[in-house]
Amino acid sequence: MDNLLLIRYGEIYLKGLNRPYFLRALLARVKEAVRPLGGQVWLKDARLFVQGVSDMDACIQRVTKVFGVHSVCPAVHLPKADFEQVCAQAAEMMRGMTGTFKVDARRSDKRYPLDSPEINAKMGGYILRNVPGLKVDVHHPDHVMNVEIRDEAYLYVKVIEAAGGMPVGTGGKAALLLSGGIDSPVAGYMIAKRGVELCAVHFYSYPYTSERAKEKVLDLARIISQSCCGIKVFVVPFTDIQLKIHEKCADDYTTLIMRRFMMRIAEKIAQREGAEALITGESVGQVASQTMTALHMTNMVVSMPVFRPLIGFDKIEIIRYAEKIGTYETSCLPYEDCCTVFTPRHPATHPKLDKILESEARLDGDALIEEAIRNTEIVEC
Amino acid sequence: MIYLDNSATTRVCPEAAQAAYTCMTEGYFNPSALYVPAMEAEKQMTLCREALLSAVHAPQGSRAVFVSGGTEADNLAILGGMQSVRDGLVLYSAGEHPAVREACEALRTVRSKEIPLDRDGFVSLEKLEGMLNEEVRLICVMQVNNETGAVMPIREIAALRDRLCPRALLHVDGVQGFLRVPFDMGQSGADSYALSGHKIHAPKGIGALIMGPRCRLTARQIGGGQERTLRSGTENTPGIAGLLAAVRHYPKDADLRAMKLRLWEQVKALIPQAVYNGPDPASDRSAPHILNLSLPPVRSETMLHALEGDQIYIGLGSACSSHKQRVSRVLSAMGIAGQRAESALRFSLSPLNTMEEMDFAAQALKKHYETYSQFVRR
Repeated sequence: MDNLLLIRYGEIYLKGLNRPYFLRALLARVKEAVRPLGGQVWLKDARLFVQGVSDMDACIQRVTKVFGVHSVCPAVHLPKADFEQVCAQAAEMMRGMTGTFKVDARRSDKRYPLDSPEINAKMGGYILRNVPGLKVDVHHPDHVMNVEIRDEAYLYVKVIEAAGGMPVGTGGKAALLLSGGIDSPVAGYMIAKRGVELCAVHFYSYPYTSERAKEKVLDLARIISQSCCGIKVFVVPFTDIQLKIHEKCADDYTTLIMRRFMMRIAEKIAQREGAEALITGESVGQVASQTMTALHMTNMVVSMPVFRPLIGFDKIEIIRYAEKIGTYETSCLPYEDCCTVFTPRHPATHPKLDKILESEARLDGDALIEEAIRNTEIVEC
Repeated sequence: MIYLDNSATTRVCPEAAQAAYTCMTEGYFNPSALYVPAMEAEKQMTLCREALLSAVHAPQGSRAVFVSGGTEADNLAILGGMQSVRDGLVLYSAGEHPAVREACEALRTVRSKEIPLDRDGFVSLEKLEGMLNEEVRLICVMQVNNETGAVMPIREIAALRDRLCPRALLHVDGVQGFLRVPFDMGQSGADSYALSGHKIHAPKGIGALIMGPRCRLTARQIGGGQERTLRSGTENTPGIAGLLAAVRHYPKDADLRAMKLRLWEQVKALIPQAVYNGPDPASDRSAPHILNLSLPPVRSETMLHALEGDQIYIGLGSACSSHKQRVSRVLSAMGIAGQRAESALRFSLSPLNTMEEMDFAAQALKKHYETYSQFVRR
C-alpha cells in the first residue's frame, strides 16, 4: 500500500492519432510543476501519477493549475490480486465518515476476475458491514469510493477539480498586451488555457507610472505563469511615444493613436519571438478606444490575428473570472496611472481613419517604434 | 543618492545600529529574568526612559511606556485612555495622522469630531474655542504636521482647555516633532506625547508614549504585565538600546532650517510657479525640516518618479497615505485643491543632508519641471 497523486486529463481523450503528442506535452508541464518538490511523475494507462514529493498539499496546489489537467485525486495503490485486502483498505479509508456512500469501480484490466458491477456490489457490502455510520445511496451519495483496477488497484475518495484546458505549448505561441488592469491578465489566461504559450508586452510610462506599477505587472505575469510554465515579459519604454503623440496629434485621437502604436510594437516583438497572434483584454464598448469602430482602427495596423477573448464579457463577469484565477487583488493595487495627462477629456468614439492618418503623419513612427523596441527590457516571470 | 523623505523614515545612525547589534549579540537577556545580566538590560531601559523624559521636559510624575512606534503610542493614548469613559466627546485636528484619526473614529462609547485647520495648516483656535465644553474628554493635536510642517499651537490649545474643559486630556502626537522642534511637555499642558524611533535615526519598531501625571490608561495588549501592565510582551531591548543611542547622538546643532530655506529660495528663483503649502518656510511656526510645495501643473507622482530617476527621493503628502487617496486630506482641510493640491511635494530633511544636496535637488526640479510642465492634460 502506498500514497500517490492520480491525475486525470480531460479533453485530450478526444484526440485521435496525435493524442501521444498532447500527452507528452502534459507530462512535461506536470513535471515542470512538480520539479521543485522532488518526486517522480509518470504516465501509465491513461493516467498521470506523482509520487514521492516533499509536500503533497503544495504538489496538489501546483498540479491543479496546470492546463490540461482535469482533476487530481490523492490515492492509495496496492496489489489487486487479493480483493479482500483491497476492500479492507477501502473500508479503512472510509472509516470515520458518516452519511451515504457508493462505490464506483473502473476496470481497465479486463482480465480481472470481477467486473465493475461486481466490484461495486462486493466492496460496497464490505464497507457497509465494516464501517458503522455509513449507508448506501447510489444516486446521491455523500461520499464516493473510486476504485480503478489497472496494473494495481487504485483507491481514492477525494476528487479535486483542476484548471482544465489543454497543455501549454500544444497550441502555438501568442503575445499578450499586459497592462496591469483587470482585463488583460484574464484574457491571457483564457488563451493560455487553450494550450497557447504566452509572452507578454507591457508599456511602461516612466515617470508617469512607477517602478511599483511595473512590479505589479510582473506580479500579474507571475500569477498567470503558474499555469503556463513561465512568461517572458517585454517592458517597452513608452513615454517618448506618448509625449510625441500628445504634442503633435489631434487631442481626441491620442488614445487611439497610442493603441495603434502599442499594437505595432507588440506585433514586432511577437514576430521576433515566433508568436503567431496577439491577445488583448478588450471588450466591446468598455471605453472609447474599445468601440467597434475604434477596435477596427487599432486592428488594421497589424496583420497578425488579434484574439480578444473578453470581447463579449461585462466588466462584472471579467472581475469574477479574475477573482477565480487569483489576479483580481493584484490588478486592483493602486500604483498606476498618473498618466491622465494622456487621456483626452473627450476621446473620439467614432474615429475617422483619414484624421488618424493625418495625425500620425506628423510623427516619425518607424523611428519611435525602433527606439522603443531597442530599449525594451526583458523579464522572465 | 539624495534622501529627502526623512519624515517617512530615516537612516539608522551608526551609534544606534551598533547599540542594537551589541544588545542583540551580547546583552540579549530578558529584562524580566532574575540573574545579573538581565538587570543590566533593565538598566538600559531605565536610562532610555530617563533620556526620553528629559528630552521632552516631562513634568514630575511622568513616565515613558515603550511601544512599537508612533501608531501604537497614539492608539494606546486614545483607545486605552478612553476605554473606561462612558460618554463624551473626543476632538482631533483635521491634520492628524490616520493613527490618531482612525483611533478617534473607532471609539464606541465616545463621539469624535474634527477640529478645522486654517489656510496655513494650523488648528483654528477660534473654531476650537467654539467646540470646547464640559463634554470634551480628550483633545488630540499633533506637535508638527507631517505634510506641511506646521507647528501646532499646543500651549494656546492647552490654555483654552484649562479655561473651558479642564478635565479634558490633551494628547500630542510628537512623531514628526520629537528632537527636531523643541517641546516642553510640562509647560505645554500636554497630558501624553507619542514619539517614534525611526524618525530620528533609531531602528523601526520602537517608540514610546510619554504619560503625564494626569494620564490614566487601560492596556491594549495584555499578557505578562510588562511596562507596569500597560504593554505586555517581552520588551524590544535592541530597539530601546538603539533609541537611547539615537537620542544621545542626535546632532542638536544641525541647521535644518538653513538647508530648508536654501532649497526653497533656489526653487522659487528657478521655478516662478512654485508655491509653498502651509506656514511661511522662514517662520518659526514652520518646522525646520519639512517643506511642502506645489509645482503646478506637474502632478506629484510624475515629479516624484522623475526625481527618482536622479536618485533623489522625496515624499508625496504622506508616505503612509500613498496607497490610499490621491489628494491629501490635510491640504483639502486647508482649502487647497485642484492642480495645486495634485502637484504637492514634501521634502523632509535630516541632519545627514547637506547644502549641496539642496542645490542639486533644486536644479533637478527645474530640469524636470521644464520637461513635464509642457505636457498637461488639455
